[in-house]
Amino acid sequence: MNAPDFYEMFTLPEGVKKVAVQLDPKQPNTAIFEVQKEDHTLGNILTKRLLKDKRVLFSGYQVPHPLEHKILIRVQTTDEVSPIEAVRDSISALLVELSNIRSKFEFDLARAKAEQEAMGTTEGAGPGAEHRHIYPKDSGADPTLDVNVDVDF
Amino acid sequence: MPYDRDHVVLEPEQVTNVSSHEYPHHFPNEDPSGFGLEGFKKKLNIKVWRVSRDTMEFDLVGVDASLANAVRRILIAEVPTMAIRYVYVLNNTGIIQDEVLAHRLGLIPILAEPEMFNFKTADESPTDLNTIVFQMQVKCTRRPNDTVAADETDPDKLYVNSSVYSNALTWDPKGDQATRFADNPIRPVIDDILIAKLRPGQEINCELHCEKGIGADHAKWSPVATASYRLLPHIDIKQEITGDLADKFQKCFPPGVVEVVTEHGVKKAKVANHRKDTVSREVLRHKEFEGMVELKRVRDHFLFNIESTGIIPPPTLFVRAIRVLMNKCAVVKQAVEAIAPKDEDMQE
Repeated sequence: MNAPDFYEMFTLPEGVKKVAVQLDPKQPNTAIFEVQKEDHTLGNILTKRLLKDKRVLFSGYQVPHPLEHKILIRVQTTDEVSPIEAVRDSISALLVELSNIRSKFEFDLARAKAEQEAMGTTEGAGPGAEHRHIYPKDSGADPTLDVNVDVDF
Repeated sequence: MPYDRDHVVLEPEQVTNVSSHEYPHHFPNEDPSGFGLEGFKKKLNIKVWRVSRDTMEFDLVGVDASLANAVRRILIAEVPTMAIRYVYVLNNTGIIQDEVLAHRLGLIPILAEPEMFNFKTADESPTDLNTIVFQMQVKCTRRPNDTVAADETDPDKLYVNSSVYSNALTWDPKGDQATRFADNPIRPVIDDILIAKLRPGQEINCELHCEKGIGADHAKWSPVATASYRLLPHIDIKQEITGDLADKFQKCFPPGVVEVVTEHGVKKAKVANHRKDTVSREVLRHKEFEGMVELKRVRDHFLFNIESTGIIPPPTLFVRAIRVLMNKCAVVKQAVEAIAPKDEDMQE
């Protein structure tokens, strides 16, 4: 009845800015970014990426309230750069890193699939089909590749 | 003891050295350029160990925990799928109440490519581009008396449709859906998911509407059964473990982790495969191994395990998760760039 609409979690209402900046009047080169409709997923990677920038003195984030779908990111920089530029640079770097991860993953996936084909195993045929591993047990193949992780996670 | 920057250390009562210090100015005389893209590329390594129709295992090496965790969170909650959102019950005389039935139906994974559909916004009405319709009409009846034994008690043999499975859902193509999905008709991923049980005379008749959604809204839209990672275990033998102690040492670990080799007639414990260790810390309970071994985990080596519900193959899931994350970054980047010029004035 009074439950919040589900889309409030990830839809930006009309007229609301995705990111708003407030400069900290008490501290030089410090800004607090209010990012709407984001959570730990973005807050954590962004603050951690900012810390890798040597011009950044402080970066941290908080989720002010679990029912308000926004995060606050606080960034303090040296006078070489403004906090806004630092965030922009970090997020650009993140984008490049992510596309790197994607291409590296796709490259290794192709390798794994080729190896799987070479060993004559195919992917599961249909629903309920038994999982077939790229590196089947007791295959006699390269033992360094044969890591049947039958360990409980 | 020198500071170990690559490992998390597992002690009997606590885990230490947990946080990463891979930031500029944390270690003397370190080149800060290593934190840029080149440094990232050098460290990054991905190895796919095993792929099947609905599971995948791979190593993600050289990234910060925040990134691995973001990918995991997105896999669970933000990669979209199609799931039954509305159940219009026309008739339900079975023992399963309408709302429970609707909940059970919602959780059935629907094999439909989510990218072929749009999200339905609150003010939109259903169209063939945002909704999939299923019909479910089942009625339980008695089998004729001459076909069953007089003392038969098995409901499956006594009645027709005593159990309703997910194959009772029949897709009702709307608009051009029948041609768009001709080569891969929309259906439940698995045919034998038990939905309800009926007895003679009872029936269920309903229309089901599937919509696109994400796991953050409801778990029925989550494309994964599990998506998890653990850190690569590392067993550091500080001091040679020989003789009968080696056998005891081996028994402290799951099979295949430690092997006992004989060198010059002396038995010696050696680590054969760190990866198989469950890090039970059993070895730390025995006084005789004190100071001889240290249990660690490699801080930036993530062993990822993705188990799909069967809608999207796991490799595609990972790529989509990365894409969702990149979209998030792109949106925020755009928003930050839009305010950048104003910043100059505010600096005054």
